[in-house]
Amino acid sequence: MKALTLVLLAGIIAAPAYAEDRAAAADQAGQDHTRHMAHAAAPPACAEAKPACAQTADPTFAKDGRLWLAFSVGDTIYAASSRDSQNFDPSVVAATATGGVIDANGEARPKIVALADGTLLVSYTARPEKSYNGSISIARSTDGGKSFSAAQPLVDGAGQRFDIFLASPKGRVYAAWLDKRDADEARKAGKDFAGSGIAVGWSDDGGKTFAGKKILLDHACECCRVSAALDRDGLPVFAWRHVFGTNLRDHYVAKLSANGAELLGGRVSEDEWATTCPHHGPSLAIDSAGTWHVAWFTNGNARKGLFYARSVDGGKSFSEPAKFGDDERTPSHAALLFAKSGLYRVWKEFDGTTTSILAQMSRDAGKSWSAPRVVASTTGASDHPLLIEHKGAAYLSWLTHEQGYRLLPLPREQAAATTRAQPAAALTGK
Amino acid sequence: MFGKYLRLVAAAGALLALAGGAASAVEFKPYGRGSFAELRKQHAGRPLVVHFWSVTCPPCLAELPDWAKIASEKKSLDIVFVNADPDNDRPRAQSRIDKAGLSNLVQYGFADDFVERLYFEADKSWRGELPFTALIGADGALVTVTGTIDDPQVADWLARAGK
Repeated sequence: MKALTLVLLAGIIAAPAYAEDRAAAADQAGQDHTRHMAHAAAPPACAEAKPACAQTADPTFAKDGRLWLAFSVGDTIYAASSRDSQNFDPSVVAATATGGVIDANGEARPKIVALADGTLLVSYTARPEKSYNGSISIARSTDGGKSFSAAQPLVDGAGQRFDIFLASPKGRVYAAWLDKRDADEARKAGKDFAGSGIAVGWSDDGGKTFAGKKILLDHACECCRVSAALDRDGLPVFAWRHVFGTNLRDHYVAKLSANGAELLGGRVSEDEWATTCPHHGPSLAIDSAGTWHVAWFTNGNARKGLFYARSVDGGKSFSEPAKFGDDERTPSHAALLFAKSGLYRVWKEFDGTTTSILAQMSRDAGKSWSAPRVVASTTGASDHPLLIEHKGAAYLSWLTHEQGYRLLPLPREQAAATTRAQPAAALTGK
Repeated sequence: MFGKYLRLVAAAGALLALAGGAASAVEFKPYGRGSFAELRKQHAGRPLVVHFWSVTCPPCLAELPDWAKIASEKKSLDIVFVNADPDNDRPRAQSRIDKAGLSNLVQYGFADDFVERLYFEADKSWRGELPFTALIGADGALVTVTGTIDDPQVADWLARAGK
């Protein structure tokens, strides 16, 4: 930066009229500086309207079989579709954010949901200039993704982030998000308030309007993603990091009651992690028998690493947390998915040079898992791994700087005895 | 986008320097691969605190003024701040630094998207949780702590190091 300032100073003193040259010199100096000093890459690596230039990509399959991605580059949120999951048609502008920074990182990202009638919903969170209090907006397309309506705020007033949407088979769209409004009220009243709240709403008109929007539980951890899955009866279940007691950031999984007024469930584990901002949310999947499966990261006194547990009684109790991943390789950001072919989990590992995505599958509802297998890797920046089902099969959806966007089928081998990091307690199951 | 912000920040810095203005425009040095080792080398022989924070981490923001206090009280302690946000969050990081009274201290900003690597270089088991503080003794002994400044590990270390 010092060299850069000197270049700029020289430019300003010597030739104040040549603004363009100065800008070019600054760019050049910036590039040289980053190359020589810190090997720092410019984020993002490119600025074109394509998935490979984004930090995150969120996938959904439309009814016609097309894969859609939502992603952002700069201040613009795009949707792009592909018939072969590799080659994408020119991106369509879904929305342009004004007056803020778009959340586009592993935990909070522009999202897309395809509804049964062909409607596409794209959501994003923009944070205003001087605050981390965001606001969530939704843009809709009813012409197969050719164009999107002007984005509408999900909630009037700021304080919302970490949105998630899912469509039920009956056509209702559920939304959940973390909401700071109760926390702000408390602060104004001079009271302490841990975390934020978890709020839920739903739409019966294809995402045009949302009803029931309400904070249902207070004290969610305010910096981790929310995960969601539909239960057998079509009602949504949510998993999030919660603040228990004074500051213990463990996990909560709960189902929306039929009247939409309550979240009913329970605490997954007691990891004893008194912490601040893990930036590391859980993942939830529900199988055809109605068992809830949850995976999470903790660094608590009771346990450290990635863990898995399940509940067969609607969150009243959970199985003993079972560790997975190689602790020597910083396992992180697990995702779970139940597909017709079985229950899958993937996660990241990093050995100091290479980031790998490992996968396992279970055919007995999480009691035993196949041996971990590396399904993709990269030696540059990458998004969190996501899982998506298509025609009964499970796919890894992963965006990396080096390889761009990839949709990879997961291996469907028979579950074998797990070879590592699976305590006996986990095999007893429930 | 990166270039544009860099240019704006640099231009503002250059103009202020020309005008002889105070350092209210924070200079975020690029923090990339190798920066952690470089910092340890630069500050070898002196107790060093490398404090990582983010504008999206409320506890981080709440305690920034406490770090300003420590910095003013403990002159023999070197304190370096690393903003772990991407480049487009830097303007608001700057306003937070100004507000907390930390503008005169050394500021770095993440300048590499390959964040796993930046985390790994500071601590093999760090996954990016914040605030995160690396405490390096004059003898080079490294302790890393996830948590705020009142975490007993941080508080004890600070009490022992520097005056």
